[in-house]
Amino acid sequence: MKFRIRYADRVVGLFVLVALLALAAGIILLGANQRWFSRDFHFTTRLDSAAGASPGTPIYLKGFQVGKVERLSLNEGNEVDADFVIFDKYYPKVRENSVLELVTSPIGLGTQLLFDPGKSDAVLKEGSFIPTADSPEGRGLIEQGLVDIPPKDDTITRLLADVSPLLENLNKTVITVDRTLTEVNRAVAGRSDTPLANILGEASKTMTKVDGIAGSIGVIADNLRATTTAIRDPTGLIPRLLDAKGSLKTLLDDKGALYSDISSSLAELQASLKNVQEMTTSLNAQMPSIAVTLDEGRTAIKQAQDVLEGLKNNPLLRGGIPKKTEQESTYQSMREGQF
Amino acid sequence: MLDRLGRSARRGAGEFLYSLGFFLSVVKESVLLVRRRQVGFRVLVMQILFTGVEALRISAVVAIAIGAAINLIGSSLLAEFGQSRLMYTMLIIVITRELGPLLTAFIVIARSGTAIATELGGMVVAHEMEAYVSVGVNPISYLAAPRFLGVVISMLVLDVYFNLFGLLGSFAVVQLIKPIAFEEYFRNLAAVLRPGDLGMGLLKALVFGVIVSVVSLYRGFSVERSSTEVPVAGIRAVGSSFMLVILADVVLTTIQYVG
Repeated sequence: MKFRIRYADRVVGLFVLVALLALAAGIILLGANQRWFSRDFHFTTRLDSAAGASPGTPIYLKGFQVGKVERLSLNEGNEVDADFVIFDKYYPKVRENSVLELVTSPIGLGTQLLFDPGKSDAVLKEGSFIPTADSPEGRGLIEQGLVDIPPKDDTITRLLADVSPLLENLNKTVITVDRTLTEVNRAVAGRSDTPLANILGEASKTMTKVDGIAGSIGVIADNLRATTTAIRDPTGLIPRLLDAKGSLKTLLDDKGALYSDISSSLAELQASLKNVQEMTTSLNAQMPSIAVTLDEGRTAIKQAQDVLEGLKNNPLLRGGIPKKTEQESTYQSMREGQF
Repeated sequence: MLDRLGRSARRGAGEFLYSLGFFLSVVKESVLLVRRRQVGFRVLVMQILFTGVEALRISAVVAIAIGAAINLIGSSLLAEFGQSRLMYTMLIIVITRELGPLLTAFIVIARSGTAIATELGGMVVAHEMEAYVSVGVNPISYLAAPRFLGVVISMLVLDVYFNLFGLLGSFAVVQLIKPIAFEEYFRNLAAVLRPGDLGMGLLKALVFGVIVSVVSLYRGFSVERSSTEVPVAGIRAVGSSFMLVILADVVLTTIQYVG
């Protein structure tokens, strides 16, 4: 008979027993972890708001969890009554004048409930009321120096500590930027002789020139705009000229008639010019004769002038020229006379 | 068509009521078996031996393999994201709450579900049931109840072992590849373990055990006269058990997370 069959009862017993022992160990471990076998000491407090706190919220002292919130309820005065427990290991820390702090991270990293032990030697009785740090009673205890408030070495505080140097660096940067801007402002105002001021002066002159150019560009742009508008106008000159049936099209697409006309006109013009050129050449050739003729004409006029002068001064001929009488016109109607 | 539909519905309702009656009868006889400490107790021990003890080896191998895989993933991959502690949560979810009971149920179905169905089917074909009845022995009391209890107990015990091997055995394997301090491992594991995780794992093991045993017994007793029905009964036992176990797992998981 096989061993297992022969000792089936023992094998099965061992099989089940080991499992039961493992299960029991697991349950004990679980219980120890869940504090099933530990005693908790109950206390009460009063919060302004339950925001950030809930049943099960841990209570810390210097980073150690010393307790947890058990129950929250809204009382008649619209304040939040909180019941919480302190673990037996930390119960001796719960002395008179202790306070609770509900610390909310300013940068949204959650809320922590901190326990600040009192400086008294007397341990508080279970069920006692422990005020919060922001209550009048708690503030009074803190102002009197009766509470041992440890430095906030939590994550939020450490983060804030890391943020401080960053802010300092930022402040220095802002000062540097401010100085630079002041220098730039002085240079812009012309109250500085630094290279930057010179550059800015040149830049200012350039900008003035650019302004002038910009005016011209403005005019060009206006013209361009007017042209664009004219192009856009379906009844405008340019569309009519450029239209498939427009004048330009007609002029350019007349089977060479326009070109022929222009060509013939140019030929005629050329012929006329040739004639003019010939005439000019001929005239140039006659120029000496004309000059002699003109010279002789002038001499003749001078001699005629002398003759007339002599005649005038001749006593024989003085008064020889009869006075001319003006003859009235006989073409006059009889009816227009004086009857 | 309506006639067929009506007949089918009536047959289905009848079968459901019959199986419900069978289940209640098995439960009743199981309670009586414990109280009376009858001869069926020996059958119970043998059933635990076959279903539990003999399945321990394969269950342990599966548990250690899965646990070691999660350990390795947790200590290497999750560490890159700064979430190494999630490894312990993953271990509890996979080993204790979800895969532990399910894989144990699959192992039991594959090994014992078929065995029970074919064994009982063979006994029916061999007229052994009639012989038991003729001498005044209730087959449910003598054959079904010990097997039912044996499978349920084995499932629960195997689930505990699966947790043990999955959570601690895998630690031993990982030590060979990537050593972690035992105290640190154990403390972190205990920190994420909740009563609900342990309770849900055991509840699933109990429900799956009941499903596998009752379905296998029902399929075994369903054999009528032909020996060809015996393997069919085994196949149906496996198929029905798988389907019902998965459905039950879905229902229980939903209740746990939604409820």
